Amino acid sequence: MSFEKIAGPYQGPAGGLAWQGGGVLFSALGESRILRYEPKSGAVSVFRKHTNRTNGLAFGPDGALYGCQELSRRIVRFNADGSTEQISVLLDGRYHNQPNNLAIDRAGRIWFSDPWGELRASGPQIFPPLEHASVLRLELDAFRKLWSIRRMTFDTAAARAVALSPDEQTLYVAETDNRPLGRRELRAYPVRADATLGPFTLLHSFGADHRGEHRGIEGMCVDGAGRLYACAGWRKSGPGPLVYVFSPSGAVLEAYPFPADQPMSCAFGEPGILYVTTAGGELYRARIEGVAP
Amino acid sequence: MLELDRTTPALERLVPREAPLDRIHHGMSFGEGPLWDRRDGTFLWVDIVGDTIWRWQPGAGARPFIRPSGKANGLTFDREGRLCVAGWASRSVWRVEADGVVTTLASHYRGLKINSPNDIVVRSDGSIYFTDSPGALYNVGMAAADLQQYLDFQGVFRIAPDGAVDAVVTDTVYPNGLAFTPDESVLYVNDTRLGEIRAYDMRADGRCGPMRLFHKLTGSEPGIADGMKVDREGNVYCTGPGGIHVIAPDGRLLGRLRIPDHCTNLAWGGDDWRSLFITTYHSVFRTRVNLPGVAVW
Repeated sequence: MSFEKIAGPYQGPAGGLAWQGGGVLFSALGESRILRYEPKSGAVSVFRKHTNRTNGLAFGPDGALYGCQELSRRIVRFNADGSTEQISVLLDGRYHNQPNNLAIDRAGRIWFSDPWGELRASGPQIFPPLEHASVLRLELDAFRKLWSIRRMTFDTAAARAVALSPDEQTLYVAETDNRPLGRRELRAYPVRADATLGPFTLLHSFGADHRGEHRGIEGMCVDGAGRLYACAGWRKSGPGPLVYVFSPSGAVLEAYPFPADQPMSCAFGEPGILYVTTAGGELYRARIEGVAP
Repeated sequence: MLELDRTTPALERLVPREAPLDRIHHGMSFGEGPLWDRRDGTFLWVDIVGDTIWRWQPGAGARPFIRPSGKANGLTFDREGRLCVAGWASRSVWRVEADGVVTTLASHYRGLKINSPNDIVVRSDGSIYFTDSPGALYNVGMAAADLQQYLDFQGVFRIAPDGAVDAVVTDTVYPNGLAFTPDESVLYVNDTRLGEIRAYDMRADGRCGPMRLFHKLTGSEPGIADGMKVDREGNVYCTGPGGIHVIAPDGRLLGRLRIPDHCTNLAWGGDDWRSLFITTYHSVFRTRVNLPGVAVW
Protein backbone atom coordinates (compact mmCIF):
# COMPACT_ATOMS: atom_id res chain seq x y z
CA MET A 1 0.00 0.00 0.00
CA SER A 2 1.41 3.40 -0.84
CA PHE A 3 0.18 6.59 0.76
CA GLU A 4 -0.10 9.73 -1.30
CA LYS A 5 -0.29 13.24 0.15
CA ILE A 6 -3.27 15.03 -1.36
CA ALA A 7 -3.84 18.16 0.76
CA GLY A 8 -2.13 20.34 3.33
CA PRO A 9 -0.28 21.08 5.38
CA TYR A 10 -2.76 23.25 7.25
CA GLN A 11 -2.06 24.99 10.54
CA GLY A 12 -1.97 22.59 13.48
CA PRO A 13 -2.86 18.93 13.28
CA ALA A 14 -5.55 17.52 11.01
CA GLY A 15 -8.04 15.39 12.93
CA GLY A 16 -11.36 13.65 12.37
CA LEU A 17 -12.72 12.66 8.98
CA ALA A 18 -16.07 11.61 7.54
CA TRP A 19 -17.03 10.53 4.03
CA GLN A 20 -19.79 12.69 2.61
CA GLY A 21 -20.66 11.03 -0.68
CA GLY A 22 -18.25 12.24 -3.34
CA GLY A 23 -15.90 13.98 -0.95
CA VAL A 24 -14.19 13.55 2.36
CA LEU A 25 -14.60 16.03 5.22
CA PHE A 26 -11.63 16.51 7.51
CA SER A 27 -10.85 18.79 10.43
CA ALA A 28 -8.00 21.31 10.25
CA LEU A 29 -7.76 21.71 14.02
CA GLY A 30 -5.44 24.69 14.25
CA GLU A 31 -7.60 26.61 11.78
CA SER A 32 -10.88 25.59 13.41
CA ARG A 33 -12.19 24.64 9.98
CA ILE A 34 -13.74 21.55 8.45
CA LEU A 35 -12.50 21.13 4.89
CA ARG A 36 -13.79 18.96 2.06
CA TYR A 37 -11.58 17.19 -0.45
CA GLU A 38 -13.10 16.13 -3.78
CA PRO A 39 -11.25 13.14 -5.25
CA LYS A 40 -12.59 13.83 -8.76
CA SER A 41 -11.15 17.31 -9.08
CA GLY A 42 -8.59 17.30 -6.28
CA ALA A 43 -10.14 20.54 -5.05
CA VAL A 44 -10.35 21.47 -1.37
CA SER A 45 -13.24 23.66 -0.22
CA VAL A 46 -14.36 24.99 3.14
CA PHE A 47 -17.27 23.06 4.63
CA ARG A 48 -17.42 24.98 7.94
CA LYS A 49 -15.47 27.80 9.55
CA HIS A 50 -15.11 28.74 13.21
CA THR A 51 -15.53 25.20 14.58
CA ASN A 52 -13.58 25.88 17.80
CA ARG A 53 -11.34 22.89 17.20
CA THR A 54 -14.00 20.35 16.31
CA ASN A 55 -12.10 17.09 15.95
CA GLY A 56 -13.97 13.77 15.52
CA LEU A 57 -16.67 13.84 12.81
CA ALA A 58 -19.46 11.36 12.00
CA PHE A 59 -22.78 11.33 10.19
CA GLY A 60 -25.82 10.08 12.10
CA PRO A 61 -28.64 8.00 10.65
CA ASP A 62 -30.58 11.28 10.39
CA GLY A 63 -28.04 12.42 7.79
CA ALA A 64 -26.70 15.21 10.00
CA LEU A 65 -23.02 15.72 10.71
CA TYR A 66 -21.98 15.56 14.35
CA GLY A 67 -18.62 16.64 15.71
CA CYS A 68 -16.54 16.73 18.89
CA GLN A 69 -16.01 20.41 19.71
CA GLU A 70 -12.97 19.95 21.89
CA LEU A 71 -12.52 23.52 23.12
CA SER A 72 -16.20 23.93 23.98
CA ARG A 73 -16.51 20.55 25.74
CA ARG A 74 -19.49 19.31 23.77
CA ILE A 75 -20.87 17.35 20.84
CA VAL A 76 -22.40 19.62 18.22
CA ARG A 77 -24.60 19.09 15.20
CA PHE A 78 -23.77 20.95 11.99
CA ASN A 79 -27.14 21.65 10.39
CA ALA A 80 -27.70 21.80 6.65
CA ASP A 81 -28.79 25.46 6.86
CA GLY A 82 -25.35 26.42 8.14
CA SER A 83 -26.28 26.73 11.81
CA THR A 84 -24.65 24.72 14.60
CA GLU A 85 -26.34 23.41 17.74
CA GLN A 86 -25.31 21.70 20.90
CA ILE A 87 -27.32 18.63 21.81
CA SER A 88 -26.96 17.90 25.50
CA VAL A 89 -23.89 18.81 27.45
CA LEU A 90 -24.38 17.64 31.04
CA LEU A 91 -23.55 14.27 32.55
CA ASP A 92 -25.56 14.00 35.79
CA GLY A 93 -25.67 17.79 36.00
CA ARG A 94 -22.01 18.41 35.25
CA TYR A 95 -20.13 19.53 32.17
CA HIS A 96 -18.03 16.68 30.80
CA ASN A 97 -14.44 16.92 29.54
CA GLN A 98 -13.24 17.52 26.00
CA PRO A 99 -14.71 15.01 23.53
CA ASN A 100 -12.25 13.80 20.97
CA ASN A 101 -13.75 11.05 18.86
CA LEU A 102 -17.20 9.62 18.22
CA ALA A 103 -19.09 6.73 16.63
CA ILE A 104 -22.82 6.80 15.91
CA ASP A 105 -24.86 3.59 15.86
CA ARG A 106 -27.89 2.80 13.72
CA ALA A 107 -30.23 3.86 16.54
CA GLY A 108 -28.61 7.31 16.43
CA ARG A 109 -26.83 6.94 19.77
CA ILE A 110 -23.57 8.86 19.83
CA TRP A 111 -20.70 7.08 21.55
CA PHE A 112 -17.87 9.48 22.28
CA SER A 113 -14.56 9.54 24.07
CA ASP A 114 -14.21 12.24 26.70
CA PRO A 115 -10.54 12.62 27.65
CA TRP A 116 -9.14 15.41 29.78
CA GLY A 117 -8.03 18.00 27.29
CA GLU A 118 -4.48 19.11 26.85
CA LEU A 119 -5.70 22.54 25.77
CA ARG A 120 -7.64 25.04 27.86
CA ALA A 121 -11.32 25.10 27.01
CA SER A 122 -12.94 28.39 25.93
CA GLY A 123 -14.18 30.91 28.44
CA PRO A 124 -13.94 31.27 32.19
CA GLN A 125 -12.78 28.10 33.93
CA ILE A 126 -15.78 27.81 36.20
CA PHE A 127 -16.75 24.23 35.43
CA PRO A 128 -14.12 21.73 36.61
CA PRO A 129 -13.53 18.60 34.55
CA LEU A 130 -15.00 15.26 35.59
CA GLU A 131 -13.02 12.98 37.89
CA HIS A 132 -12.99 10.38 35.13
CA ALA A 133 -12.19 10.25 31.42
CA SER A 134 -14.63 7.77 29.97
CA VAL A 135 -16.60 6.82 26.93
CA LEU A 136 -19.96 8.57 27.18
CA ARG A 137 -23.10 8.14 25.13
CA LEU A 138 -25.65 10.68 23.95
CA GLU A 139 -29.07 9.16 23.43
CA LEU A 140 -32.67 10.19 22.91
CA ASP A 141 -35.36 9.29 25.41
CA ALA A 142 -38.20 6.88 24.60
CA PHE A 143 -40.25 9.70 23.05
CA ARG A 144 -37.27 10.65 20.87
CA LYS A 145 -37.43 14.20 22.20
CA LEU A 146 -34.82 14.78 24.87
CA TRP A 147 -31.15 13.93 24.69
CA SER A 148 -29.22 12.80 27.70
CA ILE A 149 -25.69 11.60 28.36
CA ARG A 150 -24.77 8.31 30.00
CA ARG A 151 -21.40 7.10 31.20
CA MET A 152 -20.48 3.85 29.45
CA THR A 153 -16.97 2.89 30.62
CA PHE A 154 -15.78 2.78 34.21
CA ASP A 155 -12.23 1.55 33.66
CA THR A 156 -10.64 4.05 31.27
CA ALA A 157 -8.27 6.90 32.08
CA ALA A 158 -7.53 8.13 28.57
CA ALA A 159 -10.31 6.98 26.24
CA ARG A 160 -9.51 8.33 22.81
CA ALA A 161 -10.55 6.64 19.56
CA VAL A 162 -13.89 4.79 19.46
CA ALA A 163 -15.41 2.56 16.76
CA LEU A 164 -18.28 0.09 16.48
CA SER A 165 -18.15 -3.35 14.85
CA PRO A 166 -20.41 -3.78 11.80
CA ASP A 167 -22.96 -5.72 13.88
CA GLU A 168 -22.70 -3.07 16.65
CA GLN A 169 -22.18 -5.83 19.18
CA THR A 170 -18.67 -4.60 20.00
CA LEU A 171 -17.34 -1.18 20.92
CA TYR A 172 -13.65 -0.74 20.23
CA VAL A 173 -11.91 1.78 22.46
CA ALA A 174 -8.36 3.00 22.16
CA GLU A 175 -7.06 3.92 25.58
CA THR A 176 -4.20 6.23 24.65
CA ASP A 177 -1.95 8.05 27.07
CA ASN A 178 1.39 8.61 25.35
CA ARG A 179 3.11 10.04 28.41
CA PRO A 180 5.68 7.93 30.28
CA LEU A 181 3.96 4.98 32.01
CA GLY A 182 0.66 5.90 30.36
CA ARG A 183 -1.61 3.08 29.17
CA ARG A 184 -1.85 2.50 25.43
CA GLU A 185 -4.28 -0.26 24.59
CA LEU A 186 -6.83 -1.35 22.04
CA ARG A 187 -9.85 -2.81 23.83
CA ALA A 188 -13.03 -4.55 22.71
CA TYR A 189 -16.10 -4.07 24.92
CA PRO A 190 -19.15 -6.25 24.27
CA VAL A 191 -22.34 -4.19 23.88
CA ARG A 192 -24.88 -6.07 25.99
CA ALA A 193 -28.57 -6.48 25.27
CA ASP A 194 -29.43 -3.78 27.80
CA ALA A 195 -27.05 -1.46 25.89
CA THR A 196 -24.47 -1.35 28.68
CA LEU A 197 -20.92 -2.55 28.14
CA GLY A 198 -19.49 -5.83 29.43
CA PRO A 199 -15.90 -6.37 30.57
CA PHE A 200 -13.38 -5.64 27.84
CA THR A 201 -10.97 -7.90 26.02
CA LEU A 202 -7.50 -6.47 25.53
CA LEU A 203 -6.77 -6.80 21.82
CA HIS A 204 -3.40 -5.11 21.61
CA SER A 205 -1.05 -3.12 23.80
CA PHE A 206 1.71 -0.80 22.71
CA GLY A 207 5.16 -1.10 24.18
CA ALA A 208 8.13 1.11 24.95
CA ASP A 209 11.85 1.02 24.26
CA HIS A 210 14.98 2.93 25.22
CA ARG A 211 13.74 5.86 23.13
CA GLY A 212 10.40 6.07 24.92
CA GLU A 213 6.78 5.00 24.79
CA HIS A 214 5.37 3.77 21.52
CA ARG A 215 2.53 6.04 20.48
CA GLY A 216 -0.89 4.43 20.80
CA ILE A 217 -3.96 4.73 18.59
CA GLU A 218 -5.23 8.24 17.88
CA GLY A 219 -7.99 7.38 15.39
CA MET A 220 -9.47 4.29 13.75
CA CYS A 221 -12.22 2.94 11.53
CA VAL A 222 -13.77 -0.45 10.78
CA ASP A 223 -14.34 -2.07 7.38
CA GLY A 224 -17.29 -4.22 6.36
CA ALA A 225 -15.51 -7.39 7.48
CA GLY A 226 -14.90 -5.98 10.92
CA ARG A 227 -11.20 -5.30 10.45
CA LEU A 228 -9.87 -2.28 12.32
CA TYR A 229 -7.72 0.30 10.56
CA ALA A 230 -5.83 2.26 13.19
CA CYS A 231 -3.43 5.24 13.14
CA ALA A 232 -0.59 4.89 15.66
CA GLY A 233 3.15 5.24 16.13
CA TRP A 234 5.66 8.03 15.73
CA ARG A 235 9.23 8.55 14.61
CA LYS A 236 10.43 9.14 18.16
CA SER A 237 10.34 5.50 19.23
CA GLY A 238 9.23 1.98 18.36
CA PRO A 239 8.38 0.85 14.85
CA GLY A 240 7.59 4.39 13.66
CA PRO A 241 4.38 5.86 12.24
CA LEU A 242 2.04 3.09 11.08
CA VAL A 243 -1.44 2.33 9.88
CA TYR A 244 -2.32 -0.98 11.52
CA VAL A 245 -4.92 -3.44 10.34
CA PHE A 246 -6.26 -5.58 13.20
CA SER A 247 -8.54 -8.59 12.92
CA PRO A 248 -11.67 -8.43 15.10
CA SER A 249 -9.82 -10.59 17.62
CA GLY A 250 -6.82 -8.27 17.72
CA ALA A 251 -4.29 -10.02 15.46
CA VAL A 252 -2.08 -7.57 13.57
CA LEU A 253 -2.91 -8.42 9.95
CA GLU A 254 -0.84 -5.61 8.50
CA ALA A 255 1.27 -2.73 9.75
CA TYR A 256 1.77 -0.28 6.89
CA PRO A 257 4.62 2.21 7.34
CA PHE A 258 3.21 5.71 7.03
CA PRO A 259 5.30 8.35 5.24
CA ALA A 260 4.58 11.25 7.65
CA ASP A 261 4.99 11.41 11.40
CA GLN A 262 2.02 10.74 13.69
CA PRO A 263 -0.93 9.68 11.56
CA MET A 264 -4.01 10.97 13.40
CA SER A 265 -7.26 9.53 12.14
CA CYS A 266 -8.63 7.58 9.18
CA ALA A 267 -11.87 6.95 7.31
CA PHE A 268 -12.92 5.03 4.21
CA GLY A 269 -13.93 7.02 1.19
CA GLU A 270 -14.85 5.82 -2.25
CA PRO A 271 -14.54 2.01 -2.60
CA GLY A 272 -11.07 0.76 -1.68
CA ILE A 273 -9.71 4.14 -0.56
CA LEU A 274 -8.55 4.99 2.95
CA TYR A 275 -8.06 8.64 3.93
CA VAL A 276 -5.61 9.50 6.72
CA THR A 277 -4.91 12.80 8.50
CA THR A 278 -1.61 13.68 10.17
CA ALA A 279 -0.33 15.68 13.14
CA GLY A 280 1.47 17.83 10.57
CA GLY A 281 -1.88 18.99 9.22
CA GLU A 282 -1.96 16.92 6.02
CA LEU A 283 -4.43 14.65 4.29
CA TYR A 284 -3.20 11.40 2.71
CA ARG A 285 -4.93 8.60 0.90
CA ALA A 286 -4.12 5.04 -0.11
CA ARG A 287 -5.74 2.25 -2.06
CA ILE A 288 -6.34 -0.69 0.22
CA GLU A 289 -6.18 -4.22 -1.11
CA GLY A 290 -8.93 -6.50 0.10
CA VAL A 291 -10.88 -3.93 2.07
CA ALA A 292 -14.44 -5.04 2.58
CA PRO A 293 -17.04 -2.39 1.76
CA MET B 1 -11.55 46.66 53.68
CA LEU B 2 -10.37 47.08 50.12
CA GLU B 3 -6.75 46.02 49.63
CA LEU B 4 -4.69 48.17 47.31
CA ASP B 5 -1.50 47.79 45.33
CA ARG B 6 -0.32 51.38 45.64
CA THR B 7 2.13 51.09 42.78
CA THR B 8 2.42 54.88 42.51
CA PRO B 9 1.70 57.63 45.06
CA ALA B 10 -0.79 59.09 42.60
CA LEU B 11 -3.30 56.34 43.39
CA GLU B 12 -4.07 57.91 46.76
CA ARG B 13 -5.76 60.92 45.21
CA LEU B 14 -8.15 58.54 43.43
CA VAL B 15 -8.69 55.78 45.96
CA PRO B 16 -8.43 56.37 49.71
CA ARG B 17 -6.04 54.28 51.79
CA GLU B 18 -8.93 52.92 53.79
CA ALA B 19 -11.84 52.14 51.51
CA PRO B 20 -14.65 49.76 52.47
CA LEU B 21 -15.35 46.60 50.52
CA ASP B 22 -18.92 45.48 51.16
CA ARG B 23 -20.29 42.33 49.63
CA ILE B 24 -23.88 43.17 48.78
CA HIS B 25 -24.81 39.92 47.05
CA HIS B 26 -23.41 36.45 46.64
CA GLY B 27 -24.31 33.21 44.93
CA MET B 28 -24.24 33.82 41.19
CA SER B 29 -22.48 31.49 38.76
CA PHE B 30 -21.10 34.30 36.64
CA GLY B 31 -21.74 37.92 37.56
CA GLU B 32 -21.44 40.70 34.95
CA GLY B 33 -23.25 43.74 33.57
CA PRO B 34 -23.19 46.12 36.61
CA LEU B 35 -25.38 49.21 36.20
CA TRP B 36 -26.57 51.93 38.58
CA ASP B 37 -30.04 53.40 38.14
CA ARG B 38 -29.96 56.91 39.60
CA ARG B 39 -33.75 57.33 39.40
CA ASP B 40 -34.52 55.06 42.32
CA GLY B 41 -31.06 54.22 43.64
CA THR B 42 -31.13 50.62 42.51
CA PHE B 43 -28.35 48.50 41.16
CA LEU B 44 -28.72 46.03 38.29
CA TRP B 45 -26.38 43.27 37.18
CA VAL B 46 -26.56 39.88 35.47
CA ASP B 47 -25.75 36.27 36.14
CA ILE B 48 -24.89 35.04 32.64
CA VAL B 49 -24.83 31.32 33.44
CA GLY B 50 -27.83 31.74 35.75
CA ASP B 51 -29.72 33.44 32.88
CA THR B 52 -30.97 36.31 35.05
CA ILE B 53 -30.84 40.10 35.29
CA TRP B 54 -30.82 40.97 39.00
CA ARG B 55 -31.95 44.13 40.77
CA TRP B 56 -30.78 45.25 44.20
CA GLN B 57 -31.96 48.07 46.41
CA PRO B 58 -30.32 49.15 49.66
CA GLY B 59 -32.34 47.71 52.52
CA ALA B 60 -34.54 45.62 50.25
CA GLY B 61 -31.95 43.20 48.87
CA ALA B 62 -31.78 41.42 45.53
CA ARG B 63 -34.56 40.08 43.34
CA PRO B 64 -34.59 38.60 39.84
CA PHE B 65 -35.60 41.40 37.47
CA ILE B 66 -35.64 39.62 34.10
CA ARG B 67 -35.45 35.83 33.86
CA PRO B 68 -34.78 34.14 31.52
CA SER B 69 -32.58 36.85 30.09
CA GLY B 70 -31.10 35.21 26.99
CA LYS B 71 -27.94 34.95 29.11
CA ALA B 72 -27.64 38.74 28.97
CA ASN B 73 -24.23 40.32 29.52
CA GLY B 74 -23.44 44.08 29.54
CA LEU B 75 -26.13 46.58 30.58
CA THR B 76 -26.52 50.32 30.16
CA PHE B 77 -29.16 53.03 29.82
CA ASP B 78 -29.76 55.09 26.73
CA ARG B 79 -30.43 58.86 26.70
CA GLU B 80 -34.07 58.24 27.62
CA GLY B 81 -33.20 55.97 30.52
CA ARG B 82 -34.26 52.79 28.75
CA LEU B 83 -32.35 49.63 29.63
CA CYS B 84 -30.11 48.53 26.76
CA VAL B 85 -28.69 45.03 26.87
CA ALA B 86 -25.69 43.38 25.23
CA GLY B 87 -27.63 40.20 24.65
CA TRP B 88 -24.76 37.67 24.53
CA ALA B 89 -26.55 34.31 23.98
CA SER B 90 -29.50 36.02 22.28
CA ARG B 91 -26.95 37.23 19.70
CA SER B 92 -28.58 40.64 19.69
CA VAL B 93 -28.67 44.02 21.37
CA TRP B 94 -32.09 44.69 22.85
CA ARG B 95 -33.85 47.50 24.65
CA VAL B 96 -36.61 47.46 27.24
CA GLU B 97 -39.25 50.06 26.41
CA ALA B 98 -41.15 52.06 29.00
CA ASP B 99 -44.07 49.60 28.80
CA GLY B 100 -41.76 46.58 29.24
CA VAL B 101 -41.82 45.48 25.61
CA VAL B 102 -38.46 44.35 24.28
CA THR B 103 -37.15 45.81 21.01
CA THR B 104 -34.25 44.24 19.10
CA LEU B 105 -31.79 46.93 18.03
CA ALA B 106 -29.14 44.82 16.29
CA SER B 107 -28.89 41.16 15.36
CA HIS B 108 -27.30 41.11 11.89
CA TYR B 109 -24.57 42.89 10.00
CA ARG B 110 -24.66 42.86 6.20
CA GLY B 111 -27.14 39.99 6.34
CA LEU B 112 -25.09 37.84 8.68
CA LYS B 113 -25.89 37.06 12.29
CA ILE B 114 -23.52 38.91 14.63
CA ASN B 115 -21.44 37.00 17.23
CA SER B 116 -22.50 37.61 20.83
CA PRO B 117 -22.74 41.19 22.13
CA ASN B 118 -20.58 41.42 25.22
CA ASP B 119 -20.58 44.96 26.60
CA ILE B 120 -22.31 48.17 25.68
CA VAL B 121 -22.04 51.94 26.08
CA VAL B 122 -24.20 54.86 24.90
CA ARG B 123 -22.73 58.11 23.60
CA SER B 124 -24.35 61.47 24.31
CA ASP B 125 -25.66 61.67 20.73
CA GLY B 126 -27.73 58.56 21.46
CA SER B 127 -25.66 56.16 19.40
CA ILE B 128 -24.89 52.78 20.97
CA TYR B 129 -21.50 51.06 20.79
CA PHE B 130 -21.09 47.39 21.66
CA THR B 131 -18.34 44.77 21.53
CA ASP B 132 -19.13 41.59 19.61
CA SER B 133 -16.84 38.87 20.95
CA PRO B 134 -17.82 35.26 20.17
CA GLY B 135 -17.96 33.94 23.76
CA ALA B 136 -21.56 32.70 23.70
CA LEU B 137 -20.65 30.61 20.67
CA TYR B 138 -17.76 28.86 22.39
CA ASN B 139 -17.74 29.27 26.17
CA VAL B 140 -18.77 26.36 28.34
CA GLY B 141 -22.07 27.07 30.12
CA MET B 142 -22.99 30.15 28.10
CA ALA B 143 -24.26 28.64 24.87
CA ALA B 144 -26.47 30.41 22.34
CA ALA B 145 -29.11 28.42 20.44
CA ASP B 146 -27.12 28.73 17.21
CA LEU B 147 -23.40 28.33 17.93
CA GLN B 148 -22.16 29.07 14.43
CA GLN B 149 -19.95 32.13 13.97
CA TYR B 150 -20.79 33.75 10.63
CA LEU B 151 -18.69 36.92 10.74
CA ASP B 152 -14.96 36.57 10.11
CA PHE B 153 -14.09 39.28 12.61
CA GLN B 154 -14.79 40.10 16.24
CA GLY B 155 -15.18 43.84 16.47
CA VAL B 156 -17.11 46.81 17.78
CA PHE B 157 -20.41 47.92 16.26
CA ARG B 158 -22.23 51.22 16.39
CA ILE B 159 -25.99 51.52 16.29
CA ALA B 160 -26.74 54.98 14.96
CA PRO B 161 -29.70 56.97 16.31
CA ASP B 162 -31.55 56.04 13.10
CA GLY B 163 -30.97 52.34 13.81
CA ALA B 164 -28.26 51.66 11.22
CA VAL B 165 -25.67 49.11 12.36
CA ASP B 166 -22.08 49.76 11.35
CA ALA B 167 -18.78 48.02 12.18
CA VAL B 168 -16.44 50.66 13.64
CA VAL B 169 -13.60 48.43 14.90
CA THR B 170 -12.61 45.22 13.13
CA ASP B 171 -9.01 44.67 14.25
CA THR B 172 -9.70 43.24 17.73
CA VAL B 173 -9.48 39.51 18.54
CA TYR B 174 -11.72 39.34 21.61
CA PRO B 175 -13.16 42.83 22.26
CA ASN B 176 -14.75 43.07 25.66
CA GLY B 177 -15.06 46.17 27.86
CA LEU B 178 -15.46 49.57 26.21
CA ALA B 179 -15.73 53.15 27.45
CA PHE B 180 -15.39 56.71 26.19
CA THR B 181 -13.13 59.37 27.62
CA PRO B 182 -15.16 62.02 29.51
CA ASP B 183 -15.14 64.29 26.42
CA GLU B 184 -16.07 61.32 24.17
CA SER B 185 -13.18 62.09 21.83
CA VAL B 186 -11.57 58.66 22.34
CA LEU B 187 -13.09 55.17 22.58
CA TYR B 188 -11.21 52.65 24.71
CA VAL B 189 -11.73 48.98 23.87
CA ASN B 190 -10.01 46.23 25.76
CA ASP B 191 -9.05 42.94 24.16
CA THR B 192 -9.17 39.92 26.44
CA ARG B 193 -7.10 37.70 24.20
CA LEU B 194 -4.35 40.25 23.67
CA GLY B 195 -4.47 41.56 27.26
CA GLU B 196 -4.42 45.17 26.16
CA ILE B 197 -6.47 48.34 26.08
CA ARG B 198 -6.70 50.05 22.73
CA ALA B 199 -7.61 53.64 22.01
CA TYR B 200 -9.46 54.89 18.94
CA ASP B 201 -9.91 58.58 18.16
CA MET B 202 -13.53 59.29 17.36
CA ARG B 203 -14.36 60.82 14.02
CA ALA B 204 -17.16 63.28 13.41
CA ASP B 205 -19.31 60.61 11.74
CA GLY B 206 -19.16 58.34 14.83
CA ARG B 207 -16.67 55.96 13.28
CA CYS B 208 -13.28 55.19 14.79
CA GLY B 209 -9.84 56.25 13.60
CA PRO B 210 -6.80 53.98 13.57
CA MET B 211 -5.92 51.90 16.63
CA ARG B 212 -3.25 52.89 19.08
CA LEU B 213 -2.13 50.85 22.05
CA PHE B 214 -3.15 52.62 25.24
CA HIS B 215 -2.04 50.12 27.88
CA LYS B 216 -0.79 46.54 28.07
CA LEU B 217 -2.05 44.74 31.18
CA THR B 218 0.54 43.06 33.39
CA GLY B 219 0.42 40.35 36.03
CA SER B 220 -0.20 36.62 36.13
CA GLU B 221 -2.77 36.48 38.93
CA PRO B 222 -6.26 35.28 38.00
CA GLY B 223 -8.13 37.94 36.05
CA ILE B 224 -8.38 39.24 32.50
CA ALA B 225 -9.26 42.38 30.57
CA ASP B 226 -13.05 42.30 30.89
CA GLY B 227 -15.08 45.24 32.22
CA MET B 228 -13.76 48.80 31.93
CA LYS B 229 -14.99 52.25 33.04
CA VAL B 230 -13.58 55.79 33.13
CA ASP B 231 -13.75 58.42 35.88
CA ARG B 232 -14.50 62.10 35.30
CA GLU B 233 -10.82 62.99 35.05
CA GLY B 234 -10.23 60.30 32.44
CA ASN B 235 -8.56 57.66 34.60
CA VAL B 236 -9.33 54.18 33.30
CA TYR B 237 -10.49 51.39 35.63
CA CYS B 238 -10.10 48.02 33.94
CA THR B 239 -10.37 44.47 35.29
CA GLY B 240 -7.19 42.46 34.92
CA PRO B 241 -4.88 40.07 36.73
CA GLY B 242 -5.45 40.38 40.51
CA GLY B 243 -8.31 42.87 40.39
CA ILE B 244 -9.00 46.30 38.94
CA HIS B 245 -6.11 48.15 37.31
CA VAL B 246 -6.24 51.95 37.59
CA ILE B 247 -4.56 53.62 34.64
CA ALA B 248 -3.87 57.34 34.16
CA PRO B 249 -5.04 59.15 30.99
CA ASP B 250 -1.47 58.92 29.67
CA GLY B 251 -1.55 55.10 29.88
CA ARG B 252 0.56 54.64 33.05
CA LEU B 253 -0.52 52.11 35.67
CA LEU B 254 -1.26 53.95 38.94
CA GLY B 255 -2.14 50.92 41.04
CA ARG B 256 -4.55 48.06 41.55
CA LEU B 257 -7.68 47.40 43.58
CA ARG B 258 -7.25 43.85 44.82
CA ILE B 259 -10.58 42.09 44.53
CA PRO B 260 -11.28 38.71 46.12
CA ASP B 261 -12.79 36.21 43.65
CA HIS B 262 -12.35 36.75 39.93
CA CYS B 263 -13.72 40.19 39.00
CA THR B 264 -15.55 40.66 35.74
CA ASN B 265 -16.79 44.25 35.56
CA LEU B 266 -17.42 47.46 37.47
CA ALA B 267 -19.84 50.38 37.44
CA TRP B 268 -20.03 53.80 39.00
CA GLY B 269 -23.01 54.50 41.22
CA GLY B 270 -24.46 56.19 44.23
CA ASP B 271 -25.88 59.72 44.28
CA ASP B 272 -22.41 61.21 43.83
CA TRP B 273 -21.17 58.54 41.34
CA ARG B 274 -18.32 57.80 43.75
CA SER B 275 -19.45 54.31 44.67
CA LEU B 276 -17.84 51.56 42.67
CA PHE B 277 -19.90 48.40 42.19
CA ILE B 278 -17.82 45.39 41.23
CA THR B 279 -19.11 42.10 39.86
CA THR B 280 -17.12 38.89 40.25
CA TYR B 281 -17.97 35.35 39.23
CA HIS B 282 -20.00 34.78 42.38
CA SER B 283 -20.46 38.12 44.18
CA VAL B 284 -21.21 41.82 43.95
CA PHE B 285 -18.96 44.16 45.95
CA ARG B 286 -19.19 47.89 46.60
CA THR B 287 -16.45 50.31 47.52
CA ARG B 288 -16.02 54.09 47.62
CA VAL B 289 -13.46 56.19 45.78
CA ASN B 290 -12.50 59.88 45.81
CA LEU B 291 -13.25 60.93 42.25
CA PRO B 292 -16.67 60.46 40.67
CA GLY B 293 -17.07 58.30 37.60
CA VAL B 294 -18.66 59.15 34.27
CA ALA B 295 -22.42 59.04 34.86
CA VAL B 296 -24.35 56.50 32.81
CA TRP B 297 -27.01 58.92 31.61
